[in-house]
Amino acid sequence: MKRITTRPAPPAPIGESVPRRDGPAKVTGSATYTVDVGLPGMAHAQVLRSPYPHAQIRSIDTRAARLHPGVIAVVTADDLPDVNLIYGHAVADHPLIATGKVRFVGEPVVGIVAEDRVTAAEAVQLVTVDYEPLPFVTSVDVALTGDAPVIHDAPGEQRSHRGFEEDIERAHPNVCSHARQAWGDIDAAFEGAHLVLEGEYRYPMCYAYAMEPYTAVATWNEGALTVWSSAQHPYMVRADLAQCFGLPLGAVRVQVPYVGGGYGSKSYTKIEPLTAALALRAGRPVRLALTVEEAILTTRGDAATVRLRSAFDAHGHLLGREGTILLDTGAYAENSPLVGRKAANRLGGPYRIPALRVDCSTVYTNTAPASSFRGFGAPQVTLAGESQMDEAAERLGLDPLEIRRRNVLDPGERPWPKARGIDADLKADLELAAEALGWSEPLQAGHGRAICLSASDAGSEPITTALLRVHADGSVTVMAGSTEIGQGSSTVLPQIAAGEMGVPLDRVHLLQSDTGSVSYDRSTGASRTTTLMGLAIQAAARDARAQLVAWADEAIATDGEEVVEEPGGVRVGRRSYDWGAIVRAWFSADAGEVIGRGYLRRSGATAEMPPFWEIGCVGVEVRVDEETGEIDVVRLVTVGDVGAAINPQLVESQDIGAAMMGLGMATREELIYDNGSLLNGNLFDYRVPRTTDLPELRTVVVERGDGVGVYGAKGGGEGSLNPVAAAIANATYRAAGIRLREAPFTPERVWQALRERDAGR
Amino acid sequence: MHEAVEVRLTVNDETRALRIEPRETLADVLRDRLSLTGTKVSCDAQVCGACTVLVDGLAVSSCTFLAADADGRSVRTVEGLASGGRLSPVQQAFIDYAAFQCGFCTPGMLMAATAILEEHPRPTREQVVRGLEGNLCRCTGYDPIIVAVLAAAVSDGSDGEAGS
Amino acid sequence: MIPRFSLARPGSLEEAFADFDRSGGDAAYLAGGTELLQVMKMGLGQFGTLIDLKGIAELRGIARLVSGVLRIGATTTHREIERSAIVAGHTPGLASVEARIANVRVRNTGTLGGNLAFAEPHSDPATFLLACSASVVLAGPAGRRELGIADFVLGPLFTAREPNEIVVEVLVPAAAPDEGRAYDRIAFFERPAASIAVRLKVADGSISTATVAVGSLTETPIVVAEAGALLGGAPIHGVGFDMAVSAAAVALGGVDAVADLNGSADFKRHLAGVLLRRATGAAMLEAIGNA
Repeated sequence: MKRITTRPAPPAPIGESVPRRDGPAKVTGSATYTVDVGLPGMAHAQVLRSPYPHAQIRSIDTRAARLHPGVIAVVTADDLPDVNLIYGHAVADHPLIATGKVRFVGEPVVGIVAEDRVTAAEAVQLVTVDYEPLPFVTSVDVALTGDAPVIHDAPGEQRSHRGFEEDIERAHPNVCSHARQAWGDIDAAFEGAHLVLEGEYRYPMCYAYAMEPYTAVATWNEGALTVWSSAQHPYMVRADLAQCFGLPLGAVRVQVPYVGGGYGSKSYTKIEPLTAALALRAGRPVRLALTVEEAILTTRGDAATVRLRSAFDAHGHLLGREGTILLDTGAYAENSPLVGRKAANRLGGPYRIPALRVDCSTVYTNTAPASSFRGFGAPQVTLAGESQMDEAAERLGLDPLEIRRRNVLDPGERPWPKARGIDADLKADLELAAEALGWSEPLQAGHGRAICLSASDAGSEPITTALLRVHADGSVTVMAGSTEIGQGSSTVLPQIAAGEMGVPLDRVHLLQSDTGSVSYDRSTGASRTTTLMGLAIQAAARDARAQLVAWADEAIATDGEEVVEEPGGVRVGRRSYDWGAIVRAWFSADAGEVIGRGYLRRSGATAEMPPFWEIGCVGVEVRVDEETGEIDVVRLVTVGDVGAAINPQLVESQDIGAAMMGLGMATREELIYDNGSLLNGNLFDYRVPRTTDLPELRTVVVERGDGVGVYGAKGGGEGSLNPVAAAIANATYRAAGIRLREAPFTPERVWQALRERDAGR
Repeated sequence: MHEAVEVRLTVNDETRALRIEPRETLADVLRDRLSLTGTKVSCDAQVCGACTVLVDGLAVSSCTFLAADADGRSVRTVEGLASGGRLSPVQQAFIDYAAFQCGFCTPGMLMAATAILEEHPRPTREQVVRGLEGNLCRCTGYDPIIVAVLAAAVSDGSDGEAGS
Repeated sequence: MIPRFSLARPGSLEEAFADFDRSGGDAAYLAGGTELLQVMKMGLGQFGTLIDLKGIAELRGIARLVSGVLRIGATTTHREIERSAIVAGHTPGLASVEARIANVRVRNTGTLGGNLAFAEPHSDPATFLLACSASVVLAGPAGRRELGIADFVLGPLFTAREPNEIVVEVLVPAAAPDEGRAYDRIAFFERPAASIAVRLKVADGSISTATVAVGSLTETPIVVAEAGALLGGAPIHGVGFDMAVSAAAVALGGVDAVADLNGSADFKRHLAGVLLRRATGAAMLEAIGNA
């Protein structure tokens, strides 16, 4: 890793690659995940799922299943009259179990609870469901035609995310949401252009494949609900559970142990309401653990069709971009309305564009529901935007790096009115990528290079809280609602607390991701945790220290003595006292604690949106095997422009992981529907990257202190995924003269493009 | 109806006599009967390697390996890698090189790496890459894992530190 | 999860047949389980009894018979074949086929007999052994019979084996002194997209005879006689060799390939042609080296 640091040094251990806190647990197998949670008397659930993409449920016969020895409960929608079945934080359109009809193959229809899983699975076989198949649609293009089957008879209630902007009408009943981003005079931009490029780009339906499938354990006690779940956002899940079961938030406790991968696919509510409903009817704690095949049918990433026009002047300056994006959200809205909003925002990329108009619709189809997935619209739109930058460079006789230099926003420059100015030095990032990739070095025959950029309005909402407690022995407990999904929050957040309190890292402990005992955090996603929870912890530390200084003044200093704060404590006169000594003095005992509180919301430094920009800057060198159509990525460069790396090794790990995830979607990954069913909803026929796909890596971590977070931190973890498909497309063009616009760039697609190229010669 | 079978399993050097259903996989027995929950089940289809354990030193997919087929054989899981309170060289190397993130693939990855190092104490990078080709990881992008395994190979464990 | 079943562990073929008979036919034979248990987990096969063959000594072992034939017991694992010195000396191509099956865990547990009996259309060993004119020996209560691969593998997941018959061993004929046997495959997912096995003999600076088997394109591996015929008589290098290989690749155009996630029928035939050149080259090197 190359590390470039121009920001002032923060207090240790902030900025150090300390070993991960969760290391010993994870390498010895003692780390607990939701599937490892067992409760006395716990029963096991299995789900009967719809075999039809669209059908009315005429009747369900559960008699034989109920009689099967070992079965405790058999639950359909009819068995839950006391439950609000519909949830959905953006658009409330999703029943926790099918009600009246099914909208995709795999939709849960019946839940069965039994003493063990195999008994529950046997009972599933004994249920008979009488369906009346309905016409179905699995492509967005067909879903928007006049006589397409209507998937939701009535639009779901608009909740936290307003799905329709301004006066835009729903164009078709199968449109789930619409977002528009626009500024400037777009018609003038295209009229005055020296060069107009136009193209259609496709990005596939993907499966995040978090190796831990969705799992939940639910138990009811005296009207209060406790759920363990593999969820990224326990507080969001709590809200949905409270709404479904008519409970106050305080009566619902969601605890998240270690999460075996999220990548956005575990954002928001998944199987928790169903599991809680099964536990309610069973009168026993219930664990529902999905298989990977079931997980694929629970959440996938949005597929996208992007039609983009870019206008340039004669010197390669962007004059305008106009685009339409169609996202396939599957049978339910889930978080796609927000993905659509972000896709529209991100189509401009990191560039200065005088005029822009983007319309993004999310469209229902009878396929598995799509929701958040790493990148969140940026991978989809960056393929289009960055492809056209390279196309323009070629047409105008410019180096692809040069056209980007001419167009990237300067630090502080706003991409659109009212947006936070770019908090990154994109030109400098480009140079770092070029150097690491060897941009000016001679290139082997059959090889091609590309560097692509993205800028995402990331961070979600700056709504979070944290508590920081100093105990009588001077040790610290931090309480943060963030989850540990592998990104390293369980290490980074204690590092921040230790630095802010001037206390050794091994004297700081973290309690996290438990809505019952830890205060509110909106979410763990949108690359926000280090930046925003970091700020909350910094605020909590400041609050604790202020109280401790006041306590020292009250309980230790004599009249006239001054209390001066120093790292790890105070000085009173000529004597130093650490935080523990102050606590003991104040309570006059070897007891007590101080509680520091940190609140974060849209105000002060975090008033402007987005809280920060997440930069993607990726370079690739590829070689195209013209015999087999395989694209071999031989070198991969990532630039992690994160402002301040609290733990540089973890930043680098995130960048490598993100880029490899992008490589898989660019070259091989695609969920395919045929006749209403998913053809390849399993790992035999859906291939994610392996060790043998790893290119030579060059990673750069750059810290300019330009972010809003502690010591200038910004978020990372998605940036290095976003430009990968575009980079591979552009590099492949340079290597083999074929322009690929439909990801994944499978061997077949590459081979067909090569044949067309050769036929044209 | 389906008769139970008696098996003797030696798991991490401890021999246990168990009465199990024939359908129980080695993963089922390890996790649910022996409370050794370090072994994880992910794809349940022998593709991902998360459930890798060693049977007589050979890596197997415990999700699809009948516990009955381990009767009389020696099974090693992630819980058996450390000895005398000391992590094995490859466990230590995973910590030193941050060769994990979410950790769900890690137990299987460690067992696969252990088998590779037992056969090739000084593997080449290519041998490690090929040897781990059947173990998926979604978080790390693999590079830190490969580096960690190579570092563990250089370390002979007696000094307790992974070489570089 | 694997559904419930009873487990029988016979010590001989006779006991195994008796177990099968006692089950009333609601039974399956179990070797490594990598295919059978997976099928059961997926709900695609349910059997009241599994009869574990791994305790039957007669089904184990690798030996070079006096006749020069390589004999591989049905319950021999892919790993054992990959590492066998006997196999390396007899048909090294088979060792490298076995080394590329699936992943290391499947190779450690899965067996050759199990693989052939399952008859997955993409089977690597079936494709290679077809080109080698190998055969399978089946035993049943009524006696034994030997079938060539083409007569054994009849369709996708479908063989000539009667439900109560057991694959005992695989027999691979000895290679002639001037013979080479090679295999190549390309995979984009778990199973190969295309594979080719070439068996040829070299004499007086040219290929005298050749057999080409194509795998993963059709529902079973098949021999493409025309491709083998076009390789016959080709010089072992130079323009003549290139032309013969190209012609043989064109002959693969007649294969009725199944379009799937790997690609269109055209693309798969194209891949097979690419592999044909590589495998022919490798087989020739082996033949020249042996001669």
